[in-house]
Amino acid sequence: MQQTAENNVEQQMFAGMETTLPLLPPVQLDSFEGPLDILLQLIRKQKMDIFDIPMATITSQYLAIIDSNKELNVDMAGEYLVMASTLMQLKSRMLLPRQEVDEEGNEIDPRDALVAQLIAYEHYRMLAEELDEFPRIQRDVFKRSVFPESEHIERPLPEADLEGLLAAFGQVLKRMKSEVLHRVVLETMTVREQIQFVTEALQQGSKQFHELLHGQQSREALVTTFLAILELWRQHIIQVIQTQNNACITLILSVSNQTDIGAKPNA
Amino acid sequence: MLSKNIEALILASDEPLSFDKLRTLLERVEPVESSDVRAALSSLEEYYADRGIQLKQVGGGWQFRTAPACANIVKQLWQTRPPRLSRSMLETLAIIAYQQPTTRAEIEALRGIKVSSSIIGGLLERRWIKVLGRKDVPGRPHLYGTNKKFLEDFGLKSLQDLPDSSQLMEANIEQQEKLNLPEPTESTEHNEHEPEA
Repeated sequence: MQQTAENNVEQQMFAGMETTLPLLPPVQLDSFEGPLDILLQLIRKQKMDIFDIPMATITSQYLAIIDSNKELNVDMAGEYLVMASTLMQLKSRMLLPRQEVDEEGNEIDPRDALVAQLIAYEHYRMLAEELDEFPRIQRDVFKRSVFPESEHIERPLPEADLEGLLAAFGQVLKRMKSEVLHRVVLETMTVREQIQFVTEALQQGSKQFHELLHGQQSREALVTTFLAILELWRQHIIQVIQTQNNACITLILSVSNQTDIGAKPNA
Repeated sequence: MLSKNIEALILASDEPLSFDKLRTLLERVEPVESSDVRAALSSLEEYYADRGIQLKQVGGGWQFRTAPACANIVKQLWQTRPPRLSRSMLETLAIIAYQQPTTRAEIEALRGIKVSSSIIGGLLERRWIKVLGRKDVPGRPHLYGTNKKFLEDFGLKSLQDLPDSSQLMEANIEQQEKLNLPEPTESTEHNEHEPEA
């Protein structure tokens, strides 16, 4: 493939500048970043002399590539077409006797400007490759705080399940049983009151589940407070956290609700 | 003790610690000589040169970083890989780094193709480049230059640390001068056939 490609080019070069036969590009372009990039790849892969570019060959190769990439997006296509016309113009000017001369009387090669442009571009293309090889942060080297956004990451706290909460409640009730109670007056409590109580307690910061229930004297109070907790949890006003099975259960106010002092009414 | 203090300060700092900052911090506890700090830094640098973490001078400050040789193993820590930089992004960045301050039109003239807003936007977002001001030409286009973060992320001490562009293209540079490289903005001399931007 490579061999035939080179032969092909040689044939083209020897065939002279006049050739207008379109020929398939002898090189496969990996991808290109604009018309200059296509030209450079064609020139370099075929080892052409950049200071003496065979205009006829390069023009037909360039046109063939453009042609086979008709789907180039509209925005980009403009530059590719401008280059195509530049190349065609240069090709025809190469056939004419040189008329332009510089101050010293030397002929001006019509290709000069294009060559300068190509060289300047190649220069930066090499610098870009060089730059890419530098040990880059997060690709080749890593620093202590690897993710710049780490400060903003909200790490989700491990969520407890209902079972864990019920188990904890069962333990509290068990402890209750062993305590002998002498109660004459029946306290009537509402879940709504206990919601208020729990929310207010949590305004001061997180509380352990058993801590919260500790002050409750009666079984009724315990149950009511427990219902309040469940209700707050259901409404996502609080978060229930348990780091592992059978570990302490922590209750905290949900972040979005920390400023919301008033407790939601019981549903 | 000075070495230990320096080491600790650099490790605890969340950004590269400049020499001046380092000295100021050390001075708060006891007077130090700049020369001693400098000597301690270079001996630390030497000590870490052959270890898994290295003491590097980047973007005008000192920072501990993992050794490039360990990159493959360190990457195993995370699921995600940093996205590859596209050639267009790298080329644009290289032009800005060497030509700064420069405008989008100048970059486009060099690359021979439009520089999309997403490229400039992407570079700005990574804080590798910043707007330095506006060029005093019609349209007052933004002038771009590189940021400190560029030096940090590419492990460069300063802009002088960039590869010598003349060395890289020695032969071609000569030719470029001979050909009198047309200025991207005022290119009228040789190139009537040049595509108009």
